[in-house]
Amino acid sequence: MSDFAGMQDLLQDFLVEAEDLLSGVDNRLVELEKNPHDKNLLNEIFRGFHTIKGGAGFLGANELVTLCHLTENLFDKLRNDELSLTPTLMDLILEATAAVRDMFVYLERGVQPPPADESLLERLRAALSGKLSGPAGGGTKKQADVVDSGKDDGSEPDWELLHQVVAGETASEAKATPKQGDDPAQNGKAEAKAAPPVPKRASVPAPVRRQAENRDQGIRIETSRLDQVLNLAGEIGLTKNRLTALRSDILAGKTDPDTLHALDVSVNQLDLLVSDLQNAVMKTRMQPIGRLFQKYPRIARDLARQLGKQIELVISGEETEIDKTMIDDLSDPLIHLIRNAVDHGIESPEERVAAGKKPEGTIQLSAKQEGDHILIIIADDGKGMSAEKIRAKAVEKGLISADEANGLDDRQSLNLIFLPGFSTAEKVSDVSGRGVGMDVVRTNITKLNGTIDVQSEPGRGTTFIISLPLTLAILPVLLVRLGEQPFAVPLSMVREILPIHLDEVREVGGRSTLVVRGEVLPILPLSLLLNWPMTRTPSYGVLMQMAEFSFILGIDSFAGREDAVIKSLEDFRPKGVAGVTILSNGQIVLILDMKELFETSTGRQGVSKKELEKYAQPPEAVMQLA
Amino acid sequence: MDKNKIRFLVVDDFSTMRRIVRNLLKELGYTNVEEAEDGQVALNKLESQPFDFVITDWNMPNMDGLTLLRKIRSSEKLKHLPVLMITAEAKKENIIAAAQAGASGYIVKPFTAAVLAEKLDRIFAKLGKQ
Repeated sequence: MSDFAGMQDLLQDFLVEAEDLLSGVDNRLVELEKNPHDKNLLNEIFRGFHTIKGGAGFLGANELVTLCHLTENLFDKLRNDELSLTPTLMDLILEATAAVRDMFVYLERGVQPPPADESLLERLRAALSGKLSGPAGGGTKKQADVVDSGKDDGSEPDWELLHQVVAGETASEAKATPKQGDDPAQNGKAEAKAAPPVPKRASVPAPVRRQAENRDQGIRIETSRLDQVLNLAGEIGLTKNRLTALRSDILAGKTDPDTLHALDVSVNQLDLLVSDLQNAVMKTRMQPIGRLFQKYPRIARDLARQLGKQIELVISGEETEIDKTMIDDLSDPLIHLIRNAVDHGIESPEERVAAGKKPEGTIQLSAKQEGDHILIIIADDGKGMSAEKIRAKAVEKGLISADEANGLDDRQSLNLIFLPGFSTAEKVSDVSGRGVGMDVVRTNITKLNGTIDVQSEPGRGTTFIISLPLTLAILPVLLVRLGEQPFAVPLSMVREILPIHLDEVREVGGRSTLVVRGEVLPILPLSLLLNWPMTRTPSYGVLMQMAEFSFILGIDSFAGREDAVIKSLEDFRPKGVAGVTILSNGQIVLILDMKELFETSTGRQGVSKKELEKYAQPPEAVMQLA
Repeated sequence: MDKNKIRFLVVDDFSTMRRIVRNLLKELGYTNVEEAEDGQVALNKLESQPFDFVITDWNMPNMDGLTLLRKIRSSEKLKHLPVLMITAEAKKENIIAAAQAGASGYIVKPFTAAVLAEKLDRIFAKLGKQ
């Protein structure tokens, strides 16, 4: 039931771009509240509505055109100082922006949006004529001329004629024009009339945000990046031709040093080109994270207002580029963290002043690239969290035992907030604090092969640090071996590698452990995690660091490290396996999902020292094996 | 006149709009179309590559359509280029400003291929006379 038959592509393009524009408008509105006279901001917001209106016109979305037109006019007057921004007017503008967004939801479902709320339109019109009730809405001195020159006076002048007259074209041409009767404004109207009828509001189900699966599947790429891909593809073609020629030569028995040297050069060149091509293709998937960040100032502002708090969201590093799929999947976790910071992190202005802080709280949202990782940091200067309280809470809720709690340091304690069912809020609020949030946040981040960490200082604020790989397509892995069988573990979780000397193994609570720089860590043989029988005593340990838990993965030997190109196992995905990769020798290797493996396997219970030592070999044998 | 030989530059900051104009031009048989996302980019392209026709939006960041038009008209090399202004502004001041700055034509959004064809034909007819 599409009202946009034949225009689907256009509609999709329009929505992607218009939603970006609207998010930009939202952000600028938040800024505008602080600098109500900033001409640049007013201009940019004006242009946002104006552009959306232009596109909507071509789609025949008349109600959207009407709404944008009124709002745009409002900004036209604001930027020309014919009106001044009052809180009432600001609220009206925000309401109009929200209404535009609602209309997008209809468009997404291929339905012409119904007219905006009549009272909203009324108020917009009232505001335009300077008659909006509430705090005085600025002067109306120029009102008369604007109406005079505006297009709201019903009868449309003949623009074409006007243009020709002013442009000084010949009289005959100018005279001929009116007869043609297709003056653009009229034509636009005729087209608009021909557009499909607007469905009545009642016949349309309440707007439901469609999930990203069928929207925004496309991606906008700078042409220069595509050119680079094309260029490299071309060069690879040339190198391939060269190799084909060389093959013929060699097969024909030509093996003189020059030919072999040329072969060597060509293969090297191909090597370089392929890795360049991989990078270039990867870059086409990269998008600036600003596209994601730009939604948040408005969310933070609305929420802060609702809660009576004063909060500024400071964004930096918007230009940092990140894989497109990650942008989509990061949206919800980040919203949650920002809401949390506004709701639980930042105190009320009174509390802040009492604590000797300035009344306005700051939340910093930043992104940066560090090596092959992207760090996203959400830091508030609010009341912070106490590790002690969190430990107590977790014990009280039965999430961990008192014994376990005593073994945790402050950092580990803070990370307890990511456990399912944990919520420190004294009372559940509308906004956040249903205790379903943080564990979902962490699950979503983990799905992206990322990690999340929390740091907090009571009274000073809380910082969440999300670390993500640059791309999901390539994963740096450590190749470990059980017997002859290699497995890949994500390198991001590997903290260090150490030999397991049995004389250093201590048994604590029936589990074999190693003390690494004062930290007692259990040894979990990989074979047990995989539910395989243990046939050897692990010779090496890989210190695996997970958000709330670290352990030593017991393995037999290493096969090196590799940048694995992940092939996902879409339909068939055994527990604990993130995907497969193919080594340079053609061997297929499973990439282990350590977290899932750890959580679902009985092997996490660890192993007694006796069990561990059962298959111990004399040290010389270990040497040979390695 | 070979329609494919006429090289158009479509200037708009909204890529959907550039695509619309490009599609309309294609419908009319004009396939040689280049795009620019604002007046500044357009001007750079105009100065470095040959074009026969400019279709520009009015409201754009960095450099708006009217400024672009004025720059074109004040450039010895570019001043003869036909420039068609496209905008959603159906206001008298705007059209006067466009005409005074030397716009070859003025078209109000939204428009159909037929309207565009008629404008183009008129502009080409006028060019032919000169």
